[in-house]
This record gives sequence, C-alpha cells and structure tokens, in this order.
Amino acid sequence: MDEATRVYVKDASKRFGHGATVVHALADVTLTIEGGSFFTLLGPSGCGKTTLLRLLAGFETPTGGRILLGDQDVTALPPNRRPINTVFQSYALFPHLSVAQNVGFGLKMQGIARAKRDARVDQMLALVRMQDFAERPVAQLSGGQQQRVALARALAPEPRVLLLDEPLSALDLKLRKEMQIELKRLQRETGITFVFVTHDQEEALTMSDRIAVMSAGRVQQIGTPREIYAHPANRFVAGFIGESNFLPVTVADGAARIGDHRISLAAPADPGPATLAIRPEDIMLEPGAALSAEVTDTVYLGNAVQIMARLEDGTQIALRQPATIDLPESGQRIGLRLPVEAVQILEAE
Amino acid sequence: MSAGQGQANRTSWSLAAPALALLLIGSIGPLLIVLVYSFMTPGDYSGVQRPFTTQAWEQVFLTRDIFDDTLGWADAHMTIFWRSVKLSVLTAVITFLLGLPTAWFIATRPPDRRALWLFLITIPFWTNLLIRTIAINEIIRNEGLLNQVLLKLGVIGAPLQILYTDTAVLIGMAYVYLPMMVLPMYAAIDRFDTRLLEAAYDLFANRWQALWHVVLPVIRPGILAGSILVFVPSLGAYVTPRVLGGGKNMMIGNFIELQFGQGQNWPLGAALAVLLLIAVGLALTVYVRVLGGAGRADG
Repeated sequence: MDEATRVYVKDASKRFGHGATVVHALADVTLTIEGGSFFTLLGPSGCGKTTLLRLLAGFETPTGGRILLGDQDVTALPPNRRPINTVFQSYALFPHLSVAQNVGFGLKMQGIARAKRDARVDQMLALVRMQDFAERPVAQLSGGQQQRVALARALAPEPRVLLLDEPLSALDLKLRKEMQIELKRLQRETGITFVFVTHDQEEALTMSDRIAVMSAGRVQQIGTPREIYAHPANRFVAGFIGESNFLPVTVADGAARIGDHRISLAAPADPGPATLAIRPEDIMLEPGAALSAEVTDTVYLGNAVQIMARLEDGTQIALRQPATIDLPESGQRIGLRLPVEAVQILEAE
Repeated sequence: MSAGQGQANRTSWSLAAPALALLLIGSIGPLLIVLVYSFMTPGDYSGVQRPFTTQAWEQVFLTRDIFDDTLGWADAHMTIFWRSVKLSVLTAVITFLLGLPTAWFIATRPPDRRALWLFLITIPFWTNLLIRTIAINEIIRNEGLLNQVLLKLGVIGAPLQILYTDTAVLIGMAYVYLPMMVLPMYAAIDRFDTRLLEAAYDLFANRWQALWHVVLPVIRPGILAGSILVFVPSLGAYVTPRVLGGGKNMMIGNFIELQFGQGQNWPLGAALAVLLLIAVGLALTVYVRVLGGAGRADG
C-alpha cells in the first residue's frame, strides 16, 4: 500500500487534568493504519477513540508517544500544517458561506488560484452529487446534504488521510445505510486513507478494512472485521461486537469442561478456569447431545428465533436458529452442540 | 410563509405593541416639534416665534460675512460636523479593537465565571458619567497622574498636552462606550460554535485567517450591534467633549446645546439636530447594507 499515507501511532498517550483528577483518555496506544485503507476506531463512548482522532488531526497533542504520517513525524504539527482533514460529527460547516464556498475553503486557505479552486470545487461537488446545490447557503440543507458537503469540503484539499468523527450518527437509519455505501465508494475512488470513528459495531463491520476495538483508552484488538467477529481477543471485544454467550469452564488436557461435559478445543489453551465464548448463531440443536439445557423462553425475530435456555449448572445461554424450525416449548429439554471451530477460550472473569 | 408563521407574527407584534407605542410617542412627537422649530424664527430672548422661514437651514450651511455681507460656506459648522463623525468612527474602531479580545475572553471563561466578568464590565455604570469623565480629566491633565508617572519614569521631558485635544475626547468616549461594544459582541461570541474554529484550522487556516474568514463573519451581528450602539451616542456625545475637549474641540452635540443656550438660536439648533438625525440614519443604512450583506451567500 501507499507509504506516504500510512499512519503510525507509537505509544501515544493522553492525560487530561492533573493531580487527583487526572484522566487517562489514551494509554500507550500503538497501531499502524495502512495507506489507502478504511480503518475504523470502534468502541463505546469514553473509550478514547475520539481522543485518538483528535491527536491525528492535531487538535490535541499527546502527553506521550509519537504520530508519524509516512516517515514524517507530525506529533508537534498544528492542524493547519497537516495534510489531514476531518469530517466533524456535527459537520461544523461555515454558516456564513455557500456550499461551494465551504468546499473551497481549504483550497483558499492554501492560496490556490481562483480558477483552479473553482474547478476542484465542481469536481468535489460532483463526487458527492451536490452540483445542483453549489450556491445554496448551508443552513438550507438537510442533514444528509450537509454530510455530503462536509465530506466534499474535507476531500477537496486532497488530504493524505481523512478523519471521520461519527459522521453518520446524526442521520436516520435509511440515510445512514445509504451513506455507508457512499463513504465506502468515495474511499475506493479517492484511494485516501479513511480513519473512521464509530460506536456502532454494525457500521464498523460493514465498512472497514481493519478495525481497532478500543476500551478504557486502550486498543483491545486490531484486525479485519472477520477476525474480530470470529476470534475476539477478550471478553470485552466478544461482548461489544455482536452477541456472545460466556460460559465458565475449566480447561484441562486440550479440552474445556462444562460440568461433566467435555468439549475438545481446536487451539491450545492454558489449563485452569476460563471463559468459553460462543455466538448464539453458532450453537447447534442436536437431539440427544451430551450437553443439554432447559428452554426458558423463545423470541421470534422474523428471520430467526432466539431460544433462551438454562444449562444444568444454571448458566443462561442464548442460541439463534432459523425461523423455520419447530419452536421448542418452555420447559422442554434440548440437546446442544458447541462446534469446536466456533468456540473461543478467553480468560476467566 | 405558512399560515402558522403568519399567526406567530401577529402574536409577536401584539406583544411588542405597548413598547412600540411608548417609543413612538416618545420619539416621533418630540422629533416633529424639533422639525417644526427648525423652520421658525429665533425668539427675542430664547425659544421660537413666527414667521416660518428656512433661515435656520441656510445658516447651517451658509454664513453671512459680518463685514461685506457676502454668503460663504459655514466652514465652522462643517468642521464641527466632520470632527464629530471622525471621532465617533474612531471611537467605534477603538472600542471594537479593545472589545473583541475582551468579549472573547469572557465568552471563553467557564460558564459559572462569565457572570462575574460581565458584572465587572458594567461596574462603571454605577457612577455618574460626569464624575467619571472628570476623573479621566484628573488622570490626563498636565499635572495629572499619567503625566506625573511618565515624567517620573523619564519617558517624557515635559508634560504631554492631552487634555482639551481630540485625543482626550477619544480616550473619554472609548472609555464610556466600551461596554456597549463588549456586551453585544459577547452575546455573539457566546453563540459561536468553537468547532468552526477547529474546522478552519483543519482546513489550513492560520490564526489570522480563522479570525478573518470565520470568526468575524459569524459574529458579525454582534459587531454590527456593538458598533451602532457606540457610534450613534458618540455622534451626539455632549458631556465627554465638554469636559475633555474644552471649548475649542466642540462636537455637534455641544454646538447644538450652544444654540439652545448662549446662542439663543433655537431654530438653528433644531435644524442641526435634524441634520444630525438624517446623517445618522444615512450612515447606518449604508453601514448595515455594506457590512450586513457582505459575504452572505443567501443575499
């Protein structure tokens, strides 16, 4: 991938406040964002993802560590001297300027000549399909249109990296889906590195090349959407991305024990108490299986049914089945099989 | 406009009606009297009498030479007028330059601190204007505090003649009207979304560009309100030029007062007052047109 647009964050930390009230918003984060990729920072609010984005933009300076763009150290550069642009959560469009003037703002500040600027603005407006709105004041635009203008404005100066701070959170569901596809298209067409911040795991899974899951100022796991979904590194990731069952188990001799039921493991794990994680949709119904549970509730979801059941040791377990199966009754005993390839062994709680 | 908005407009008009009535009675009535007086003949000792004449209006612009009876431009009047406009514009500019950082400072304090700063800004209003102006006189006069300190420090060899100059009037008016500039600008900056500043920096603006291309245009309504609140009363200022400008550096307000007092020429005073009103109206129209419309894409 493109060397000059690769972002390298090394041991970045950020503390706010001092003395007893110090807050570690970011703690020794190290990650590489490949040039030309769609990279997502995913986590709940307060996990440090926005702080990291602000460090990349230059609005904050890290209290420790370095940020490199290509092989250039940009840690101390102010935002106006970084070839990085931002799409703000609230868009932050300039209310006194027209759509075209907003899009051309960055180019104007860079001192680019009028004719060249206008051409570039037209090109950007075409890219986000807003040509017909060039002369409108931004206050007259809908949320989705403002979003497109904010994108065009940030893309116009041809940044090496585009930062997007929860840009879709203010849109309704339908528009959000459309913009997800739109953003992905823009990223492919421009080849610019996108760094996307969101707390929406579905958004992250559908759009990203790679995802960094963050919590409490630390990166919990970095990987492709598939890796993160199928092989969560820890309980936080398994719980935050999709749904997971967490079953207390004991690991010994390459197998996990639930009560006296034994599940052999695909990957080696340290012996001792552990947590077994498995997705509801990965659990199979198997009449007469050694692991049995008592159905406590069933929920019809339209395209699937969710069955809530209780294992013999009292642990609650959820499994998801196609809506076409015969629904078990509450109180009925069912046999369960946990496929070895779907099982993750995590640290005990 | 929808029916609902029309309804809302009617309701808000009726809410404003009592205040509007008071303002109309208080301003239109006296103004009509002033306008009528400007077309009358000076009374024998003071006041006005018939017949109706345009004599006062001629006197505003033309003056009759007392020796050869020829008509010439009333240079003295024009000088006073020009000085008034010049000093008022300068007062607005100075209060803007001082007021912008002040308003910005207050608006960026933590919310629980802002009230205190605004309170401090309004403290001068507690004391009578005349007293405060005399206090400034005490500071800038030749034997005053400022000159004493500068002499002691060896910055100057002889006292600076500030009192009874245009500079003195300017200092006094800037001091008096500064809060009028700060308060509306504070209100505008308080509403200013600081994320716009981040957006400007992000799009390669340096501090001055961000100020010029984003902050000033966005807070323009506050600047507009503040400069009108400073310029208009400055143009009619009376106490400050009287105490700090002395007899020579009259402003239009003092000259009008002179006509109603020692000059015993009420019609001329009235004509000058009407002229001042027209000048202010024209100046504001041009000002609001130019500054109020500049850079606004929606016209």
